[in-house]
Amino acid sequence: MTDLSHIRNFSIIAHIDHGKSTIADRFIQMCGGLSDREMEAQVLDSMDLERERGITIKAHSVTLHYKARDGKTYQLNFIDTPGHVDFTYEVSRSLAACEGALLVVDAGQGVEAQSVANCYTAIEQGLEVIPVLNKMDLPQAEPDRVAQEIEDIIGIDATEAVRCSAKSGMGMEDVLEELVRLVPPPVGDVDAPLQALIIDSWFDNYLGVVSLVRVKQGTLRLKDKIITKTIGKAQIVDGVGVFSPKPTQLKELKAGEVGFVVAGIKDIHGAPVGDTITHAQTPDVEALEGFQKIKPQVYAGMFPISSDDFEDFREALAKLTLNDASLFYEPESSDALGFGFRVGFLGMLHMEIIQERLEREYDLDLITTAPTVVFEVVKRGGEVIYVDNPSKLPDPGSIDEMREPIVEANILVPQEHLGNVITLCIEKRGVQKDLQFTGSQVSVKYELPMNEVVTDFFDRLKSVSRGFASLDYSFVRFQAASLVRLDVLINSEKVDALAIIVHRDKAHGMGRSLTEKMKELIPRQMYDVAIQAAIGGQIVARSTVKALRKDVTAKCYGGDATRKKKLLEKQKAGKKRMKQVGSVEIPQAAFFAVLKIDS
Amino acid sequence: MSLQLPPLALYVHVPWCIRKCPYCDFNSHQADNDIPEADYVKALRFDLQQDQVLAQGRKITSIFFGGGTPSMLSATAIGQILHDAENIIGFEPDIEITLEANPGTFEQEKFSGFRAAGVNRLSIGIQSFNDRQLTLLGRVHARDEALRAVGVARAAGFDNLNLDLMHGLPEQSIDDAKADLQQAMDLGPEHLSWYQLTIEQNTAFYSAPPVLPEEEILADIQDAGVALLAGAGYEQYEISAYALAGKRARHNLNYWEFGDYLGIGAGAHGKITFPAENKIVRLWKTRLPKHYLDAAHSQKISTNLNGHQNVFGGGSDLLTPESLPLEFMMNALRLHEGVPITYFNQRTGQDWSMLADNWARLEAQGLVEHCDGYIRPTVLGRRFLNRVLQAFIHNDD
Repeated sequence: MTDLSHIRNFSIIAHIDHGKSTIADRFIQMCGGLSDREMEAQVLDSMDLERERGITIKAHSVTLHYKARDGKTYQLNFIDTPGHVDFTYEVSRSLAACEGALLVVDAGQGVEAQSVANCYTAIEQGLEVIPVLNKMDLPQAEPDRVAQEIEDIIGIDATEAVRCSAKSGMGMEDVLEELVRLVPPPVGDVDAPLQALIIDSWFDNYLGVVSLVRVKQGTLRLKDKIITKTIGKAQIVDGVGVFSPKPTQLKELKAGEVGFVVAGIKDIHGAPVGDTITHAQTPDVEALEGFQKIKPQVYAGMFPISSDDFEDFREALAKLTLNDASLFYEPESSDALGFGFRVGFLGMLHMEIIQERLEREYDLDLITTAPTVVFEVVKRGGEVIYVDNPSKLPDPGSIDEMREPIVEANILVPQEHLGNVITLCIEKRGVQKDLQFTGSQVSVKYELPMNEVVTDFFDRLKSVSRGFASLDYSFVRFQAASLVRLDVLINSEKVDALAIIVHRDKAHGMGRSLTEKMKELIPRQMYDVAIQAAIGGQIVARSTVKALRKDVTAKCYGGDATRKKKLLEKQKAGKKRMKQVGSVEIPQAAFFAVLKIDS
Repeated sequence: MSLQLPPLALYVHVPWCIRKCPYCDFNSHQADNDIPEADYVKALRFDLQQDQVLAQGRKITSIFFGGGTPSMLSATAIGQILHDAENIIGFEPDIEITLEANPGTFEQEKFSGFRAAGVNRLSIGIQSFNDRQLTLLGRVHARDEALRAVGVARAAGFDNLNLDLMHGLPEQSIDDAKADLQQAMDLGPEHLSWYQLTIEQNTAFYSAPPVLPEEEILADIQDAGVALLAGAGYEQYEISAYALAGKRARHNLNYWEFGDYLGIGAGAHGKITFPAENKIVRLWKTRLPKHYLDAAHSQKISTNLNGHQNVFGGGSDLLTPESLPLEFMMNALRLHEGVPITYFNQRTGQDWSMLADNWARLEAQGLVEHCDGYIRPTVLGRRFLNRVLQAFIHNDD
């Protein structure tokens, strides 16, 4: 039995801009993980997209060696977690690999709703949660108030919380000392049969599938013959190692450790996240508890602009699902947009990120339809169906009752913005369930139709609270509601991909705003484009995009052929994200018109 | 597959102007009247001598002196250039020789000299008969000079005249535009280039845009003008070109029919077909007048223009098979009558089948038609020609 007492596996729970990445970078620097030359700001956010948006989307890990004040060197395995409400599922995966978590709170801004939710998940999973007050270098830091708030809202004692600044470096060593002191070392037997949990898998074009694992029991060595419990196909381990943060090859990963495994798996479904890896000779070892498969909350149709790209699109989605188990897709065919997929997402940000990844990493041009939640429909005769696509809503005559998903939203907001937040919640058909004053923030609980929350609620909440309000929400139940489908007709033809489901009371107003918005978003074409909104065959609003009179280049002689050609190419490139529907070119923005209405 | 040698034209560029106009994006450079005429004429000769091989046995069907302001050259210089061209390449018997001229008094004095030197078509850059518009356009001439220029040209013996006229000018109303056009027609030119002002990149107007008429007015001007021209017997045969019967600009027709042309002078462009090598090349000469003149003196090492050597070389493009449908159509579909469908194969070397699908789609949309062996845009297609042409852009270009 090997001594695991020098190992600490931990995560950081923090709100998007409370400084998690800066802390991680500081740790790497303090432990000599990278030379100064290699130190690029926020090294852990490795996807371009993550660095650009300043958020972490996927879990990453890094192994560091820290020489503590007690003279011993500790192996710190840090598993990064995403910090946005859309990615709760990823957080619970990261936490499953840890014995402890740092709860990082901005000493000026206070506790944020998503951190509260993640903190509860950590506590439920039995992790030691260590509060840390960051951004102490800022003049608006109020550590005493925020410490009290942590206690009031989350219920953990924060009077002793380390006060630090990842930016200036102040108190950072104390953070590491606390980590070593408070996070328990992992338990496990390096000689027991192998049990390793797949926390994440991704596809590398050269290596095939790479998996991030937490070894719970036993030892995983180079050249071992391994299987996963659900697949059972034996593979030889081509590489094991850790990210320090550069990938570093090792000979083995032992119980208690976190690292990567490459096993020449070329099939993208060869190493499912949440599965257990064991040796081929011990196939009967017990599977570790995996991750609860969570259901997407938001669905949208995604269609390649060029139908030739359909197969590439299918393959890209399959690769993305490998390390994003929350992503759901199934083929969809639309009269207007042709063949594509109905894709399920955790939320709007998730949708945007997937769309961007598909376009950047897989070079696809896609049109995404307006996102919708899933509705529960009770048909006459009692059959209950779930509708994730407005165009698939049955004929109203055959519907007995329609039910919409309701979420419980927990909002933390400074007192001075409370009024605005309440007004917003009422506008979104919310019902107040609780309201508590804690420190300088107010904790408000509302039940809201998910339909209203997933679209622009988060952005609106931020804007009415000057960025201070934070939100966490979860599905609670389906509830009967008076809902109708709002159809959109372009030149009198119903466009299935533009239909939305809305509350009856808002339907007419929505129809008017939607047709007006689309008029702004659809560029002028060779003919007039008539846009109509209809409910059950009755037109409730209309607008017209006036035809262009002409689009022709006045002059073209021998000398300027090349320049004129470039202009045409530029003009065409500007129309890239448009889909021809009938004789009308509809840009991506028009499909999202419903999200851009100030209802 | 069966690339053939099309007719050959010659373009001669004269890169100087008294003043650069704010809308002009051509290769022109401000110069006083002391341009290095003799050196330039010599350089042009040397340029053409090197390009002689590109003619591949053909004689020249048309010559166009463009600019800049070609009428800044003396009649003697023009005569010398024509003499050299005839010696080096040779002329077809009915050759059309056009010279662009400013309507200023200074130029008018040279008109008879140009005619005597062999120029048989004069293209006068009127642009507008409205003094206020002329000022806004930065033109150096005035209305009365413009009015006089046609008479002077007639007196000099020109029986084939073009007037360049713009519309859609800053602050222009429909009535203004019609008056301008009527004035031009009253002067009785054989040909009118009546085109809408476009703001091009790298012009003064691009960096400080004037207020142009609204789109509706622009389109109304266009419609009113076309009717006016047709009523006076000017047939529209290209987007911006109108001519009396039998007086179409043959030099320009050659561009639009995807013919070949040599381009000599600073920044001049040429397009040459090489049936033996199954290739079509666009090539151009070095752009700045100073560099061009220096190249003639310094016995500089010649530039390789896709296999062709010329010391004045600026660059060249080999037209790829994928780019040829657009290259061809962006010229051919400017013509109201279009071109014989056989030209596509003969002049691009490509098979029609490569664009048959695109063509069928455009035909279904009522934008183009194929009849009596000709391919052409429909009325709708002419109005939305840019959209039609986009269908021929190769996706990976």
